[in-house]
Amino acid sequence: MHFAMPPRKTSRPPPYAVRNSRSSLNALFRRDRLRFLAVILLGCIGTIYLLGHLFSSASSEVIPAGTPLVVIVTAINKSWDPAFVEKIKKNRRDYAAQHGYTTFFPSSSDYSLRNAPLSWAKVPAMRHAMTLFPSSTYFWYLDPTAIIMNRSLSLTSHIMDKERLESLMIVNEPVVPPDSVIKTFDHLKGDRIDLVVAQDKDGLCQSGFIIRRGDWAKYFLDAWFDPLYRSYNFQKAEGHALEHIVQWHGTILAKLALIPQRTFNSYVPPPSGVKVPGVYAEGDFVANFIGCDRDKRNCADEMQPYFDHLAGKGPAESDD
Amino acid sequence: MTSRSPSPHRAGGWSSPGLNTPYNTSGRSSPMRGYANGGPNNVTWASAQARSAEVKGYPAFSTRNQNFFGRHFRKISASLPFSYAEKEKLGRGRWSRYQNSWLGRLLTMIGRTIWRLRLRFGLLFIFLLGVLLFYVTPLHRLYRGASFLGGGSKFVIILAANQGGGVMEWKGPREWAIERDSVKNKKKYALKWGYELEIVDMSTKKRYAHEWRESWEKVDTIRNAMRKYPHAEWFWWLDLNTFIMEPSYSLQSHIFRNLKENTYRDINVYNPLNISHPLTAEYLDPETLSPVGDGKPDSINLIVPQDCGGFNLGSFFVRRSVWTDRLLDIWWDPVGYEQKHMEWEHKEQDALEYMYANQPWVRPHLAFIHQRKVNSFPPGACGDKGDDPRIHYKEKDRDFLVNMAGCEWGRDCWGEMYNYRQLSNRLNRNPWEKFKDWISDSIKAMKEGKKKEEKKEKQKQ
Repeated sequence: MHFAMPPRKTSRPPPYAVRNSRSSLNALFRRDRLRFLAVILLGCIGTIYLLGHLFSSASSEVIPAGTPLVVIVTAINKSWDPAFVEKIKKNRRDYAAQHGYTTFFPSSSDYSLRNAPLSWAKVPAMRHAMTLFPSSTYFWYLDPTAIIMNRSLSLTSHIMDKERLESLMIVNEPVVPPDSVIKTFDHLKGDRIDLVVAQDKDGLCQSGFIIRRGDWAKYFLDAWFDPLYRSYNFQKAEGHALEHIVQWHGTILAKLALIPQRTFNSYVPPPSGVKVPGVYAEGDFVANFIGCDRDKRNCADEMQPYFDHLAGKGPAESDD
Repeated sequence: MTSRSPSPHRAGGWSSPGLNTPYNTSGRSSPMRGYANGGPNNVTWASAQARSAEVKGYPAFSTRNQNFFGRHFRKISASLPFSYAEKEKLGRGRWSRYQNSWLGRLLTMIGRTIWRLRLRFGLLFIFLLGVLLFYVTPLHRLYRGASFLGGGSKFVIILAANQGGGVMEWKGPREWAIERDSVKNKKKYALKWGYELEIVDMSTKKRYAHEWRESWEKVDTIRNAMRKYPHAEWFWWLDLNTFIMEPSYSLQSHIFRNLKENTYRDINVYNPLNISHPLTAEYLDPETLSPVGDGKPDSINLIVPQDCGGFNLGSFFVRRSVWTDRLLDIWWDPVGYEQKHMEWEHKEQDALEYMYANQPWVRPHLAFIHQRKVNSFPPGACGDKGDDPRIHYKEKDRDFLVNMAGCEWGRDCWGEMYNYRQLSNRLNRNPWEKFKDWISDSIKAMKEGKKKEEKKEKQKQ
């Protein structure tokens, strides 16, 4: 006998289906638990994502403990009197010790300048400092003709803090006085500034400047140190080269903040000189005996009263 | 029932209190499905309609003879070769009529298999149809162009037209033809892969640019392109005298998906300029001193090929980045220009070489690419023989692009462009075209063979 159709199922199904497995896994994937599982899964993915983001951002910028925030750089001319050089170094070391900063005193002749004036050495010296202290934030170059007079001022709260820098910035002023057509930008944020310089009556004071470490700093220093600038015979060597790149290249100007000269680069006029703006007064951060290493002047002699004053022996300014 | 007014039943009828019998069951809470068609005691709209339909001569409930198939199905099915009746008579459900020949059996088997796997075959069919539609419609271009899918819109091709032209040099018909061909080639390529194409006229700029910066507009042009396409990442500069030989290569698969393997950081791999690398000045940081920068493909911002004379900016890539902004900014400098403009014959190309050699910050972010990956030369550029395996185009290797560099000085630009265009077309024929060409070629060969034989015979006579 042939059946056209398969045999029917029983028309009396058992009142309940026999559960064929009682494993806990099945219970876990029961329909009412699925929503719960989905929530847990989403939570896990979210946590992993967040953690990944946290760690990726953290790994890019790890500053080891004990890193000095600021490095004070002074390129020393080896031909100078060692006793005087020692005084200069001590002045910076004392200040650095008070604030937990550090110092770096390379010799100008360490760097090959290709017959350019020795004053160019400040540029590779800064690059060198960034290599030696790869985690420090600020690098302050100070010419050996300057001494730090007010040790109580910290570089951050006095200059580099965002709000402080924004209040100090000279905006919309010609970069090179009196009539450069290139003016400083007026919309810069303090935490975006990578280069801080002062301006005297002739132009930018490259005798003291602060750089924030970063890719921009490398770019700026390398561009400044370009052999074509060194060979160009700028009248004021690296000073004019700096003014040149600031005025011709927007990516540099956009990171520059001009601040009042007396904030960190007050000038002490030469004994016979005329009075100029930006002259040092009691309480100023830095006294810069600009040009004391030229024209038969003697830095050591001119600075002596100031060193004495710092040591608490008398008034800084010898009024005559 | 408390309400005496007519109100709708849950079952869809109307309760009419006066007509209800004492056995009314409208007090039930559940609807009475059983009398939906009109119980004897419960007049509903449906039942009334059904009854009136009966009066009109149609049966109230009919499943048969409702349409053509309903009425004629039996007739049709009986006339079919494999009818129900025959199935019972012969062969028990097998299509025995076709079982006689092996072809029939095969067909039956195939048919049965398809029927059994109809779900899978249906899915396959839908899938194939989808693929076909994807490529026939512009959908695939949209896909390739979207930044989150194909990523095509992340690439911009900058094509420099009219280079060195303008007021000084009038274009002849050949120059027009070159431009037309080159632009068409790039347009097609950009459209195929969803890239942006920016054709820039280099001649018009001169009128406005400072006299000094003459023919240094590459920088300005790239900047403008970056401004115009704010979401693009890579910008590919192409000179006009270039031809994309293999449009089937996408930039992603050809270079960017594996940037690390396709580029080299250490210039010592191929160093025609003899630039000393890596740098040795002790004041530089380790990354700058390293021959390969940080070694990660993410830090590559400029990709330049090198020909026999150094960097070649006929075809190069630049990525949008802060580093690039700085490079484009410092690239042209009046002090450098004043001292070097007599010496720098190739202008920005020489300036870039100079910066690479003298400004350490450039090196960690610049990578080189093998010339033949993006910028193969024809014979005539870099040696007349054209056999340098690092520089010259080779048909066998299907190089991506040919740059007829320097063809405007004593070579035939249009001739080269034409030859390479024909070659590219021939290399990229589809199978059908290849088949057609094969037939016509063989016919031609046969004809020529006959002619030769005839000639030989004539000569013999």
